[in-house]
Amino acid sequence: MSDFDQIIVGEEWEGAELSLLETLDHVLNRGLVLAGEITIAVADIDLIFIGLNVLVSSVETAHETLRKREPTE
Amino acid sequence: MRLYVYCLAEGVDRLNNTLRGVSDAPVRIVKFEDLSAVVSDCRPEDFQVTRKNALAHHEVVQSITEQTTPLPARFGALVTVEQLSNYVSTHHQAIKAKLAHVRGGVEMNVRMIRTITRADASQVPENENVPGPGTAFLLEKRKEILRAEAGVDRKKQLSSWLREKLGDLIKEEKISIVPSETVILARADHLIERVDVQEYRTKMGKAVEERPEVRFMVSGPWPPYSFANIELEFSSQFGVS
Repeated sequence: MSDFDQIIVGEEWEGAELSLLETLDHVLNRGLVLAGEITIAVADIDLIFIGLNVLVSSVETAHETLRKREPTE
Repeated sequence: MRLYVYCLAEGVDRLNNTLRGVSDAPVRIVKFEDLSAVVSDCRPEDFQVTRKNALAHHEVVQSITEQTTPLPARFGALVTVEQLSNYVSTHHQAIKAKLAHVRGGVEMNVRMIRTITRADASQVPENENVPGPGTAFLLEKRKEILRAEAGVDRKKQLSSWLREKLGDLIKEEKISIVPSETVILARADHLIERVDVQEYRTKMGKAVEERPEVRFMVSGPWPPYSFANIELEFSSQFGVS
């Protein structure tokens, strides 16, 4: 279900890595919010940290990929 | 002992016996009249925020999605039986409405990355020759407003372009744009019918060819994580501020 069927950006990225990042992004940042989540409030820092890492590393890698592809002037 | 909640669904009465959830716990169903909560037993002190557990959460939700379209819970929903029962009973109507909305659907995601061009940058004036801190503050505020307005415009443009390309396939759409100094990262989440996945891919493939300046990543189908949340205020429900 979660396989990347079409990857048009960043051939340098492995499909499995992208799939993992996307899976973590969905699981950590989306979904029905139940009040019970407060019971793991102590782990919020970790959750935010993981989420940011996923986003930042995605953007940074994407930017690096784009930079490499830009024609040199 | 608490319940770790993976998703809420209708019409799920049996599970694969081999299904394991977070902390390798067996997964079971708790019935609330016509609704089912897919859960496993979990002691709060044993629950860990790990990649393995996050992926186990997804595996369970995914296995349910093969039977029906559930409302996936966000990772880390650890509740007592009473809390879950109270939540379902007080939000029964909203849950049913949400399940009806996503029924037969899956989520597709499109990420788009574009390098910021000189034309983009010129929409936001640089603060040069600033006479004083007050003016600098106001200019910076103006810059922020212009950036926000540009973001809203881009969202509208993107939404209208995607709707033009994907047509009636989109049941619901969510678009977010994250501009940085060098790139614009946009994300579109689409709720579509399961039967339309192949057509969606085909249409996105054609749309991608029209925009060589933009890098695209298309993923899916996913359980409808981005469309599961019930927009109500829960924070006070269990006396939490």
